[in-house]
Amino acid sequence: MTEFTLRSNLDAMYTVFLARVRILSRYRGWFLMDIILPIFLAAMPILLGRAVAGTSMEGNFLKNVGTANYVAYMVIGANLFMVVSNSLWHFGFWLRNEMQMGTLESLYLAPVNKIIILGGVAMYTTLRSLISFFLAFTLGCFIFRVNPFQGDIGIAFLFLLVGLIPVYGLSFLYGSLVLKLKEAEALINIGQWVIGFLMGIFFPVTVFPRILRFIAEIFPPTWMNNGVRSALLGLNYFLGEWYLDLAVLWAFCIIMPLAGYYVFISIEKSIKKNEGVGKF
Amino acid sequence: MEPIIEIRNLSKIYTAKERKGVFRGKKKKIEALKNINLDIYKGEIFGLLGPNGAGKTTLIKCLTTLLLPTEGTVRINGYDLIKDENSVRASIGCMLMGERGLYWKLTGKENLEFFAALYHVPRKIRKQRIKEIVELLNLEDIIERPVESYSSGQKMKLAFAKSLINKAPVIFLDEPTNTLDVYSARELRSIVKDLNKKGHTIVYTTHQMSEAEELCDRVAIIDRGEIIALGTINDLKNSIKKESVIKIEGIIKEETYNIIKNLKITKKAAISSSNGFSKLTIVTENARRALPEIIKILLENDSTIQYISPEEITLEDVFIAKTGRSLSQDTRVI
Ligand SMILES: Nc1ncnc2c1ncn2[C@@H]1O[C@H](COP(=O)(O)OP(=O)(O)OP(=O)(O)O)[C@@H](O)[C@H]1O
Ligand SMILES: [Mg+2]
Repeated sequence: MTEFTLRSNLDAMYTVFLARVRILSRYRGWFLMDIILPIFLAAMPILLGRAVAGTSMEGNFLKNVGTANYVAYMVIGANLFMVVSNSLWHFGFWLRNEMQMGTLESLYLAPVNKIIILGGVAMYTTLRSLISFFLAFTLGCFIFRVNPFQGDIGIAFLFLLVGLIPVYGLSFLYGSLVLKLKEAEALINIGQWVIGFLMGIFFPVTVFPRILRFIAEIFPPTWMNNGVRSALLGLNYFLGEWYLDLAVLWAFCIIMPLAGYYVFISIEKSIKKNEGVGKF
Repeated sequence: MEPIIEIRNLSKIYTAKERKGVFRGKKKKIEALKNINLDIYKGEIFGLLGPNGAGKTTLIKCLTTLLLPTEGTVRINGYDLIKDENSVRASIGCMLMGERGLYWKLTGKENLEFFAALYHVPRKIRKQRIKEIVELLNLEDIIERPVESYSSGQKMKLAFAKSLINKAPVIFLDEPTNTLDVYSARELRSIVKDLNKKGHTIVYTTHQMSEAEELCDRVAIIDRGEIIALGTINDLKNSIKKESVIKIEGIIKEETYNIIKNLKITKKAAISSSNGFSKLTIVTENARRALPEIIKILLENDSTIQYISPEEITLEDVFIAKTGRSLSQDTRVI
């Protein structure tokens, strides 16, 4: 008879993770894209800035944003945006692909809780996002001649790690939509730009009008983005001190994954009440 | 005997959107299973037989936790389907969607390792388990290759292998021989028999009655979401009198069939045709007395009779006697 132990559950989670890594290794092109895209993304505003404002760029940027180092500002923004967007993308792509291949049904037949499978996939998206972040960031810094080792690297890293956890909550929410609408591409294409806009890839969200700013502030990646930038470039934290901003992120860490998981499970149940997860 | 699957008052209703034009749509309820009651016993090969759209897959998906029933209760291996979901899942092995449900970018072996872990097969015995299955199904030559390089039949075999990974007491197979050639299908059936001898209970769906006849201890014939006949193959065959069935093969027009169908002496009649060649099955009170009249009608209507056979009763005849349709006819609930 099957024995469900902590160990066999962890083993199942690791297996899901490993299978993802194996599959990725068989589509190497994807990984290259992860690294190159943020560089193009950062290049656009940097070059635009040079074209529009020329040498007065740094002064204006210092006055409005709080740092003269607009190049680093854009490189960080573009890379963090990619981390968030990739996490959602990988998750949605994974789910959509499993639906189409019929493997989602196989996963649903297996005697494991959904959290184990989602956990394995989340491990994979974390690892993949972090590796591509560091490679892309280093490469971006090299190309745009920014010194990556400035400011409080430790705190920046903390913001990055803690900031990733609420992103899983967002991925689960996004996954619920994919499950419901049986669609991933259009969803991510729209979602991507909304995310980029809200988290302020190229500008501080303080320039937003009140309502928009409020929406941006209940969106966890905004706090991660601002935290990492503030730590590296010496800008202002939203609440004045780094640990206060980090505390807000911690709160998101608890709320978002729970909310995301809850919505995912509810949608899954409503689907099983009707046509089941096999329909694609 | 002890039931290992107990199904009580099981119903399943799908709601589907009907498209009318680009924007307009209407919700429609489809009653795929209507109040099913059924016990499947430990150690038997149980066949679910029925035409396309009868509800076989829906029933299996409900039993395997993929769909929530609209009503009813099910116990499998002593566990409640809803409350002990994971224990039910651990008690069953499934091959439900043919060659789908495998990771094409992984090798056959990686697939089996993956599912072994998800089914909590302890690491220590995983290798050995996979080795046994590979030997049983003769997969040695393909097991190290990515699944995308497999032929359709090879993918089917791997899907079958996957259903054995947890050595479950109950194995569900939904039309497992669908895309297999005659030889592989026979091989698969003989493996199913062996597994059954080793103590696994098998639930096997098919719309080929010959397959059910060869394999199953008992069958349930499902039509339009209902069980219309249940019993051993012999019980079912004995339920209609041999003297009452007439089978005629030849070239028979649809109108002729309709005339015969509406005769007073005809209880049920069904026709199945391929390439203009038809097989007409008629169920009457007394075949000997009805035959002259039927032959007369056939001749009057320019039919070519090639064969009139007092053959053995088949499961198909049972189906025709109950429904007045042949198994190959599409009988989706509309
Ligand atoms: N997701 C769905 N939404 C709406 N109706 C469905 C859905 N799945 C199946 N049905 C309907 O339910 C009925 C039973 O279908 P099911 O797939 O269970 O039949 P089946 O006996 O397995 O047929 P086959 O031999 O073709 O596999 C059919 O009328 C079918 O159209
Ligand atoms: Mg079916």
